[in-house]
Amino acid sequence: MIARPLAGRGQALLVLAFLAPALLLLALFVVAPAVSAVLFSFTDLALRGPGALAPKIVGLGNYTRLFGDQSFVDAFGRSVSFVFFSAIIGQFVLGLVAALLLARKGIVGKGLFGAAILMPLVVPETVAALAWASMYAPDARGTLNLLVGLVGQEPVAWLVANPMLAIIIVNIWRGVAFAMILFAAALEGVPREVVEAAMVDGASAWQQLTRITLPLIKHAIVLYMLLTTIGTFTVFGLIYFLTRGGPGGGTTVMSVFIYERAFHFAEIGLGSAASVIMLGIVLAIGLFYVRALRAQI
Amino acid sequence: MAATTLPVPRPARRGRGRPGFATPLAYAFLIGLGGFCVVPFTWIFLASVDPNATVHLQVPKSIDLSNFGRFVTDPKFARFMLNSVIMAGGSTIVVTATSVLGGYALSRFAFPGRRTLMFGILLTRIIPTTATIAPLFVITQRLGLTDTYQGMILVLAAQQLPLALWMMKGFFDTVPGELEEAAWIDGAGRLGSAIRIVMPLAAPGVGAAALFAFIEAWSDFLTPLILISTPDRFPVSIGLFQAYIGRNLVDWGLLTAVSVVYMLPTIVFYLVVRRYLLRATVVGALAGA
Repeated sequence: MIARPLAGRGQALLVLAFLAPALLLLALFVVAPAVSAVLFSFTDLALRGPGALAPKIVGLGNYTRLFGDQSFVDAFGRSVSFVFFSAIIGQFVLGLVAALLLARKGIVGKGLFGAAILMPLVVPETVAALAWASMYAPDARGTLNLLVGLVGQEPVAWLVANPMLAIIIVNIWRGVAFAMILFAAALEGVPREVVEAAMVDGASAWQQLTRITLPLIKHAIVLYMLLTTIGTFTVFGLIYFLTRGGPGGGTTVMSVFIYERAFHFAEIGLGSAASVIMLGIVLAIGLFYVRALRAQI
Repeated sequence: MAATTLPVPRPARRGRGRPGFATPLAYAFLIGLGGFCVVPFTWIFLASVDPNATVHLQVPKSIDLSNFGRFVTDPKFARFMLNSVIMAGGSTIVVTATSVLGGYALSRFAFPGRRTLMFGILLTRIIPTTATIAPLFVITQRLGLTDTYQGMILVLAAQQLPLALWMMKGFFDTVPGELEEAAWIDGAGRLGSAIRIVMPLAAPGVGAAALFAFIEAWSDFLTPLILISTPDRFPVSIGLFQAYIGRNLVDWGLLTAVSVVYMLPTIVFYLVVRRYLLRATVVGALAGA
């Protein structure tokens, strides 16, 4: 054990002094905003107008407004489908298969494939979004339209015709690597003998996967699901850069809704209420994650 | 393991190791996925060296570095780049200094409530900026920190701190306490031995944590979007966004050249810190707390 109990008041002060700068920053710019979101959500605080000068307490008014507001309900629904199709389905399946294949013996060019898959995750999200502005260019010379043109498809204005699908594809592209990294690490922990024993017993490749490998990495799968849900639910820049929530609000997910309410409509109170709903969901998942960790340690 | 001592038939010919139909399929999948991941970047790279760049993926008729030249001389983007360096660099210094101190205390002293504090810090990592932007703006405004470098540096630093604290504590944990105690016996003070014995051994880890903080701050888009309003103080991320949404006269050559320079550090740094990637993505989860 490296950590020693405190020896005297002097050391207690030392610990306090060492931790104080970090804890102060966290308290001011992470914890206080989260707590304030809850407080603000019960007020009509605004960036301009009467709510800016003399904010009033409106109780649960912001929440009843939100739940009666079709645009909020729609934004919530879009976030759910964004998380489900891009992270739970798309990134999970592609990342898991990539990790399984790259764990196989005798595959040539593993480093190259790994680097290629990692690249979308590594670059700044603005650059990632800009790259897709070209992919989704609406005329016949857009990259994706060139590709679908090969099979005789007419050119599509992707970000207009099916904007949710378009941003889901971008997010799958960006996040495959996250799933792959997690599952590759988990697969390293699967003892080779167990899988080989199953092979000797004549298990098919599919049986090895579903009966041996997947159950052995199920903790990593649960962990991935928790982390990816939190991470994907809160994606903002990738979507906002490409569509600004449009067209016609068609890609206004929760994060974009919060930003628009708070900063375009200057309604801090209402935006905070939407934030609190997002925080509640994220922290509930987060607590589950922290508890799962705690049990392991 | 038994296979090394007993002459059992090698099972590698079946299942996983079986050559034949599964392997071409495996390559087809990997090449398809790799292509999917790389193709969007080919436009950025090609357009950046194409003096006649458009939004379309095209083979340049001629290649030169004129887009990069315009970037260096462009008063706006040269300034945005400088702003990004100041903001990301400043916040990295703040994160590193505060998390080295905090991480050392968390690693070396078993004070009451330490475990709870560690998990509390982990929980703050989960609080997404997306969900706190409205109050974050109000708080920084009350502190007079909106639209300032100082405000950006402190907010970006706070956002990176939870991960940095966990990583630092982990790295300090790997430096045996006995080394430090031996130095005390030799007459070095607690602080002296921490600096002379522990820091050099933990240095690669400290560097990795600093690089992660830099990459995150460098790439950030949402924080400057809400905090910075003066174009002179925009970082590159906001500069790219503003230039892109001015759709009718987008200078694609310039934007892609900026993008290449802007993403280069993230790619290089990721190569450097790759072996710490797992620890960073699932802080403390699989790598152990």
